[in-house]
Amino acid sequence: MIPLGHFVILSAVLFCIGLFGVLTQRNAIRFLISVEIILNAANINLVACNRYLAPANAEGQVVSLFVIGVAAAASVVGLILIISVYRQRKSVFLDDFNLLKW
Amino acid sequence: MTELVFYIIAVSLCAFAFLSVTVGDVFHSAVCLTFTLLSVAGVYFFLGAPFIGVIQILVYVGGIMTLFIFAIKLTAKIGDASIRQFTRQLWPGAALAGAILALLLAVIRANAWSLRLLPPVQGPDLKQLGVELLTRYLLPFEFISLLLLAALVGAIVIGKVKK
Repeated sequence: MIPLGHFVILSAVLFCIGLFGVLTQRNAIRFLISVEIILNAANINLVACNRYLAPANAEGQVVSLFVIGVAAAASVVGLILIISVYRQRKSVFLDDFNLLKW
Repeated sequence: MTELVFYIIAVSLCAFAFLSVTVGDVFHSAVCLTFTLLSVAGVYFFLGAPFIGVIQILVYVGGIMTLFIFAIKLTAKIGDASIRQFTRQLWPGAALAGAILALLLAVIRANAWSLRLLPPVQGPDLKQLGVELLTRYLLPFEFISLLLLAALVGAIVIGKVKK
């Protein structure tokens, strides 16, 4: 039998890998990849707590479906913004994205 | 036996996630993310949530990863792998992430709920999930479709080449 803690530990490790990526990536696409890892960590937590702590309800699974939907919308808009900036700047590196500075 | 399979999936999940933020080439990083997302779907199957696992594979692996690969190919340059991929905050970032991981692990170890085993009753099934989505969570459910429509229109407007 797998205790709940192991799922939560897995989710914590994934979250910290994603956090490391968000803090250190220079490439905007890899920044979005790290954000996706963080969202997946949260989803594992939601589904695991739903199954172990409140198996009579489906709240955790419902919320994780919403998270997947919002993540899809967020990554679509994020990627199209990166492509749009790439057309102007010929770069995908976050330190070149200074279009709003003067 | 099932425990062994779960721990293999968990270790490969962490390994692929780590590779996808550290490997040199962006395209390899996207491939590692694909395997990460597939392993997460495997974890959902272990948790008795096969519907979420299937949606994970359909939406993430089928949809979002395709977008990522298109974006990488549209913005790729020759010799991308040799360009510095990390900001100057590499070691402070790693230290902060490690510190937060240590804090989270300490909190998880200190709490009794982390030792809970699987309850003997069945988890929520697909029917219950569908009923919840269309009764109690109907409004957020419809808002998600509105959000996706807004994202679709917004992506077309932003991505259009201006004449």
